Amino acid sequence: MEKISPHQFMTLGAGVLMGGTFLLLASGVTVASGRDGWMTVLPGFTMGIPYALMVFSLLEQYPRKNLLQISEILFGKWIGKIMGLIYILITGYYGGLLLAILGDIFERSIMPFTPLWVFYLGGLVLAIYLVGSGIEVFARFSEVVFPVVVIALILSVALAIPRIEQGELLPILEEGITPLFFGVLKVMPFAMEYILFLAGVATFLPTEKQEFGQLRTEVWRTTFLVGVLNMLVVIIQILVFGPEETVRLANGILVLGKMVELSRTVAGVESLFMGVWLGAMVIKMSAFLFMVLWGIEAVFNLKGLKWNFIVGAVFLGIALGFTRGPYMLREVSVTESYLMFPFASLWIPILWGVARWKKGAGV
Amino acid sequence: MRSWLKMLKELTIRPKVKQIRKSPAYSFDEELNKPLSGQTVKEILAESSDIVFREFFLQGKERIPCMLVVVDGMVDKNQLDQFILKPLLVDLAGHPEVAQLTLANVLDKTLQSILPGLELKKVAKMGEAIDAILSGDAVIFFGESKEALVFGARGWANRGVAEPITESIVKGPREGFSETLRINTSLLRRKIKHPSLRIISLKLGDLTNTDLVVTYIEKIASPDIVSEVFRRLGTIKMDSMLGNSYIEEMIEDDPYSPFPQISFTERPDVLAGKLLEGKVGIIVDGTPIVLIVPAILTQFLCVNEDYYQRAMVAVLARFIRYLGAFIALLAPSIYIAVTTFHQEIIPTDLLISISATRQGVPLTALQEALAMLVALEILQEAGLRLPKPIGSTIGIVGALVIGDAAVKAGLISPLMVIIIGLTAVSSYAIPTFDLGLAVRLIRFPFMILAGILGFFGISVGLYILLIHLLRLRSFGVPYLSPIAPLRLRALLQDTIVRAPWWALKRRPQLIDLKETPAGRKGKG
Repeated sequence: MEKISPHQFMTLGAGVLMGGTFLLLASGVTVASGRDGWMTVLPGFTMGIPYALMVFSLLEQYPRKNLLQISEILFGKWIGKIMGLIYILITGYYGGLLLAILGDIFERSIMPFTPLWVFYLGGLVLAIYLVGSGIEVFARFSEVVFPVVVIALILSVALAIPRIEQGELLPILEEGITPLFFGVLKVMPFAMEYILFLAGVATFLPTEKQEFGQLRTEVWRTTFLVGVLNMLVVIIQILVFGPEETVRLANGILVLGKMVELSRTVAGVESLFMGVWLGAMVIKMSAFLFMVLWGIEAVFNLKGLKWNFIVGAVFLGIALGFTRGPYMLREVSVTESYLMFPFASLWIPILWGVARWKKGAGV
Repeated sequence: MRSWLKMLKELTIRPKVKQIRKSPAYSFDEELNKPLSGQTVKEILAESSDIVFREFFLQGKERIPCMLVVVDGMVDKNQLDQFILKPLLVDLAGHPEVAQLTLANVLDKTLQSILPGLELKKVAKMGEAIDAILSGDAVIFFGESKEALVFGARGWANRGVAEPITESIVKGPREGFSETLRINTSLLRRKIKHPSLRIISLKLGDLTNTDLVVTYIEKIASPDIVSEVFRRLGTIKMDSMLGNSYIEEMIEDDPYSPFPQISFTERPDVLAGKLLEGKVGIIVDGTPIVLIVPAILTQFLCVNEDYYQRAMVAVLARFIRYLGAFIALLAPSIYIAVTTFHQEIIPTDLLISISATRQGVPLTALQEALAMLVALEILQEAGLRLPKPIGSTIGIVGALVIGDAAVKAGLISPLMVIIIGLTAVSSYAIPTFDLGLAVRLIRFPFMILAGILGFFGISVGLYILLIHLLRLRSFGVPYLSPIAPLRLRALLQDTIVRAPWWALKRRPQLIDLKETPAGRKGKG
C-alpha cells in the first residue's frame, strides 16, 4: 500500500490547491468585489479548512478508507454508489475542462499557430504517466514542482513591481463589505476542489494519532501559503492593470509575464514561465485523473492501467468539445460554482454529521 | 511468428532469475561429484598445459607417494619452494616425527607440524580441490588419501597499486584499486580498521568461478539493502562473470533507464566514504572497478576531491558541475526553440546578429544541431579508443578544421558551432562517465521536441524526465533523494552544497532506512 508523508501531503495539497488558480482567480474576484477583490482570496481559501478537518475526523474513525468508501458504509450501498457516481462525473468533467484551459493558455500566449490537440496530448501524456506511476511519485513530483511554481509566481510579481500604478487599490471598501461576500463565494469552489481531492487521497495518508495532528497543521499551512500567494497575484494585477482591465484579462498573469523587461536585455520571458505553469496544471489535472480513478474503483471496483487511458480519452473528448475562449471559461466557472461547490459543501458535512451521530448512538 | 515473439520477449524482458548462457549440454557436476583422489584430479586437469603435477615421495615409516598440483603462473614459486618443497623434501629427514610418518597420518602431521604457512587447510571434496587449484592455491595429495592439503600460495603478476585513470584528483590520496581482489580488500581494510566492516565472499559464474566480495559496515548499512544485494546476486546464474558490468546490468532496478543506478569507483577512499554513508560495495576479482549501491542522482555530480577541498571551493565546483550538466543537456534544445519559435526572448540587436549569421545556411536550426552533434559523437567515439597522441589530433582536426570548413562553406552558422562547443565542453564537467553518457543520449529527444514544439516540447520533455527520475529507485532508495522525498539535512549537508567538516555532525541520511523495500518503483 502506497503511503505519503505529512510533508509530501503538504506539497501535494498545495500543488493541487494552487493548480491553475492564479491564472483565473484575479478576473473572477475582481468581477465580484471590484478593486477590493484581493481581500476575498485568503478568506475564500480558509473556508476549506473546516471541511478538511471534517475529512480528518472521518479518517480517524475509518482509517485507510476514502470518503467514497465511507459513504457506502454510512449511507448504504446504493446511496454510496450514487454519491460516488456524482463524484466521478463532476471530477471527470472538470478534469477535461482543465485540459482545455491548458491548451487555451498556450495557444493564446506563446504558440498561436500550433493546433490545440498538441497541447492537450502533451498535458494528457504527462498526467497519465504521472498517475500511472502512483501516488508516491505524484507526491514527489509536487515536492519538486510546487516550490518552482512558488518561485516563478514570486518572480512574476516582483518583476511587475516597476509597472505598479499608485492608487489603484484605493479607496478601500468603497462599496462596503457586501461585495467581499460574493468574492469569497468565487474563491470557495477552488478550496472545494482541494477538499474533493482530500476525500479521495485519504486512503494514502498516515493513520498514526501523532501524524493526524501534523496533517491538520499541514492543511493550515497549505491554505495560508496558497491563499497568500494568490492574494499577491491578484493585488499585483489590480495594481498594474487596474480593476477594469483585470476583469477583462482572463489570464492576467500571462500578460504580466509578457511585460517583463530587464534593462532591455531580458524580455518576453513568458515562454519560460509557461513551462512552470504547465507543471502546475499537470499537478491539478493528475489530481482530477486520480479522483476519477478512485471513484471508478470505489463504485465499480474497476482498476488498472487501461482505465487511466479511458479516463484520459474522456478528458480529451471534453477538452476538444470546449475549444477556447469565453465559452470555455464560463463552463469552468459554472462547473466550479454550481456543481463542485454545492456537492462538496453538502456531501462532506452530511457524511461527517452522520458519522458523528452513529458514533454517538453506538450504531 | 510465435518464435519471433518468444525471441523478442527474451531480448526485452529481464527474467527474475537471470540464467544467462547456461550451457545445457555440458556440465562438470559428474566429475565434481567423484571421490577425491590425486589420480582423478590428474585425469580431469591433465589436458591443460599450464597445470603442473609434481610427483615425489616422502620417506617416513613407509614410503608415501605425493603429488603437488599448481597452475603455472598463478602461484608464488618462492613460497612453493620455501614453504612446501623444502620442508617436505629437504628438512623432513631431520624432523623429530619423521619416523612415525605413515600414509594414514601424513596429512594431519604435515598440517600440524611439518609445513609452515598461514593458509593451510584440508579439503575432502573434489570440487573444493579443483577450485583451489584453479584459483592459484597449491594442493598436495598423499597417495590414495580421500583428503588433500590446500596451501594458500597465490601469487601472480599484477600491476600493483596505481593512481586511477578515471578518477584523478589534485589534492588527495593517489592509490587506486587493482585487478586483484585481495589487494583491493586490503586497501579497504587499511581505510576502515573497525570490526564492523564486513567483507563477505561469494563466487559467480559457473565456468569462470569469479570471486567477489560484498562489503558493508554493520549497523550503518541498512539490513534491508544488504539482504537485497545478496538476494539479487543470488538470482544470477551465468556461465561467465568477467567484469563488474555483468553484475551491474543484472542487479540494477530498471534496465531500460539511461541513468546509472549503481555507482562505481576505482578509489579505496571513495569506497570507504560510501560505506560510511551506509552503502554496500561489490568488489569483483579481475577488475579495479568497485560497484556501490544504492546510488542516487546527485552523487553522480559529486567527486571525491570535494571532500579534500575547502567547503566554499567544493560548493562552487558543485555549482559549476550542475550548471555544466544543465547546459550539456539543454543548450542545443534551448537554442533551437528560441531561434525557431520564441524569437521574442532574444534582444533585438542579438536577434539581428543571429539572423545575419544564419543567412544562407540551408539547414534548419534542428537539422544543423543534429548534424553537428552527430559529428561530435562520432569524433568522441573515434578519439576514445585511439592512442592518446592520435586521439587529441582527431579532436583538433574534427573541432577546428571540419568545424571551420563547415562554417566557411555556409553549411552551418558560427553561432551553432559555439553552442555545440559549449555543449561538448559542459559535458566534460559531468564527473561521472555513466551520467555523461545518459545526458548525451537524452539530448537528442530534447532537441527533436524543441524543434517541433519549442519550449512547450522542452517543458513536456523535462517533466517526463522528472517523472522518470522520480519513479526510479536504486535498491529501494528513491533516485532523486534527498530532493524528493525531501531530506533537508542531507540536502544542505552534502548534496548540492558540501557543508564544512565541522558542520557535518551527523551522518548524512541519504538513505532512509524507513523507505519501502526495493523493487517497488514508486509503488507501495
